[in-house]
Amino acid sequence: MKIMSNASEIVFSNYGMYDLEDELELILPNTSIKFHRISDNAFSYFRKNSEGKIIEKIIPVKSNDLKIELAPIRPLNHPARRTTHMFLKFDKSIHLSENSAASIFIHCPIEVGIFLIHDSIHDSLDWITCDPLNSRFGLYGSPDTGTLCKYAKVSSATDYNDSNSYLDGVLQIILENTLSSSQSISKVVFPITDNALYYQNSKTILDGIKITLKKRAAVNIADVTTTSLETDWSKSPTWEDKTANTHMEMGLE
Amino acid sequence: MVLEFLQSLSEMQIVGELTVLSLLIGGIIMIGGVIIAKIAKLLFHKYYAPSLPKDTAQNISKLIYFGILIISFLGFTSSQGIDLSGIMVAGGIFAVVIGFATQSVVSNLISGLFLIVEKPAKHGDTIELPDMGISGTLLDIGTFSSKVRRFDGTVTRIPNEKFFTSNIRSLTLSTVRRADATVGISYGSDIDNAILVMKNEIFHTMPFILQIPEPEFRIDELGDSSVNIHVFVWHPRDDWSQAQPILLNTLKRALDKSGIEIPFPQRVIWSEKD
Repeated sequence: MKIMSNASEIVFSNYGMYDLEDELELILPNTSIKFHRISDNAFSYFRKNSEGKIIEKIIPVKSNDLKIELAPIRPLNHPARRTTHMFLKFDKSIHLSENSAASIFIHCPIEVGIFLIHDSIHDSLDWITCDPLNSRFGLYGSPDTGTLCKYAKVSSATDYNDSNSYLDGVLQIILENTLSSSQSISKVVFPITDNALYYQNSKTILDGIKITLKKRAAVNIADVTTTSLETDWSKSPTWEDKTANTHMEMGLE
Repeated sequence: MVLEFLQSLSEMQIVGELTVLSLLIGGIIMIGGVIIAKIAKLLFHKYYAPSLPKDTAQNISKLIYFGILIISFLGFTSSQGIDLSGIMVAGGIFAVVIGFATQSVVSNLISGLFLIVEKPAKHGDTIELPDMGISGTLLDIGTFSSKVRRFDGTVTRIPNEKFFTSNIRSLTLSTVRRADATVGISYGSDIDNAILVMKNEIFHTMPFILQIPEPEFRIDELGDSSVNIHVFVWHPRDDWSQAQPILLNTLKRALDKSGIEIPFPQRVIWSEKD
C-alpha cells in the first residue's frame, strides 16, 4: 500500500500494517525497504537509508500469518542509543506573563520503526531516520552532572494535523506560569520514554507535556510532566524497553 | 563397625588432646565451609549480582565468600579445642614481627580496602594512570592488586598501594567528554569563513558531536606560517572513537573543499640588491 506524496510526487508508504506474503516493498523519504521470501520459512530483509547505509537480515519464520507494521517511534536511536531524554530548542522563545497559562503545538522529531508481527507479538526489526541532520546530541547542565539528551531545534505547529510526514510529530505543550513575574521559555528537556506516539496515514502525534513554572524553596523551576492524549489514531508499538521515568525539573534562566 | 572405627580414631592421639577424629571433623568442617562458600558465591552471582552495580556485586561476593571461610575456620578451631585467646596475645606480638617482614603485602591489602571504600573508580570504568603511563578498563580491584585491561588488549596487574597513591584520571565519570585539534590556515584566508566551513562539516559528518555546547573555535596563535585555530568539540563519553580520531581529518576536508590553504612552514628571504 502506497500513497502519493503531495510535495514531491514520490510515492511513499503509509504507516500501518502490511501482510508479508512473498514480496513487500516500502518506500520512505531517501529510504527503501524490501522483504523477499527466500524459502517456505524464511524472508530476506533489505534496507538502504538516507546516508547510503545498507542493512540486510534473514528472518526465519514459523507462522504463515506474518505482518509488518510501519510506525513512528521515539527519536532515540540515531546515531546511537545513548539517552532517553529530549532537548527541544524552540526557534522562537515563548513569553509567559505572571500567573498565566498557554498551550502550543510544536514539531517534535521522530524515527520510523519496522515491526514484525507474529502470534500477536511485536518484534522490533529495524529503525530508520528520514532526517539524520536533525538528529544530534545536546547536553543539559554541566559536563560532570548534566543530562545527555537528543537535541533538536523545533518550530511551532498549527494543530495536530500539521506534522511533516516521516520527519516529525506534533506535540502539545501546556505552559503554566504560577510565578509572580513573567518568564521566557526557549527550551524544554524531558524523558520522552513516557510519551506514546500515535499515527494516521503518514501523520504522527505524541502525548503532550505540561510545563509548570513554580517556586521551590527560593529557586524558580520548570516542572515538566507528561500528559496523556486521547485520540482514535493508532498507537505505535514501543520500540525500546520502557523504563520508569520520573518527571523532569529544569532551572529557569 | 563404623562406630568402632570412629572410636579407634578418637583414641589415636596426635599432640596433646588433638586426635585423628577431631582432625577429621575439622577437615570436614573446612571442606564443607569452602564448598558452601563457593555455592553461596555462585548463587549470589546467578540471582542477585545482575541487579546490582558491578563493583558492589564483586565486593559483596568477596564478603560472602571470605565471611563463610572465616566462620568455617572458627568452627575448625573450636572443634580442635584450640583456645583463640592465647593465639590473640601471641598473635599481637607476632603480628608486629610479621608486619615489618611483610610491609608491602599489608600495605597492598590496606590500600585495597581503602580503594573499595573510597571507590575512585569502579569495575568497567575507563581510567588513565598518568604516573605509570597506563590507560584502559579497570577489570578488578583485588585483595592485593588491581587489574587494568589496556586498549591493546593486554592486562596489567598493579599493586594496590601504587594504584591507591597514583593520580587516577577517570574517563567515564562525566556524561560527556571533549575532543580537540589545532589546524592552521594561511594569513590570506578569511578566518570567519574558515570557522564557518569547519563548523558546517562537523555538523554534517560527525553525528556524535554535541550541538549544545556548540563546537568552539579559538584563535590559538599567530604562528610563523599560519593562523592556528584550536577546535574544541564535546561528545558522549562512550563515543571518543567517533570524535577525537576523526576530528582533524574532518577539519582538513572542510578546508580543502573550500579551497582554504593550510600552509606548510615557509620563510621569505630578502636579499639586498647590489
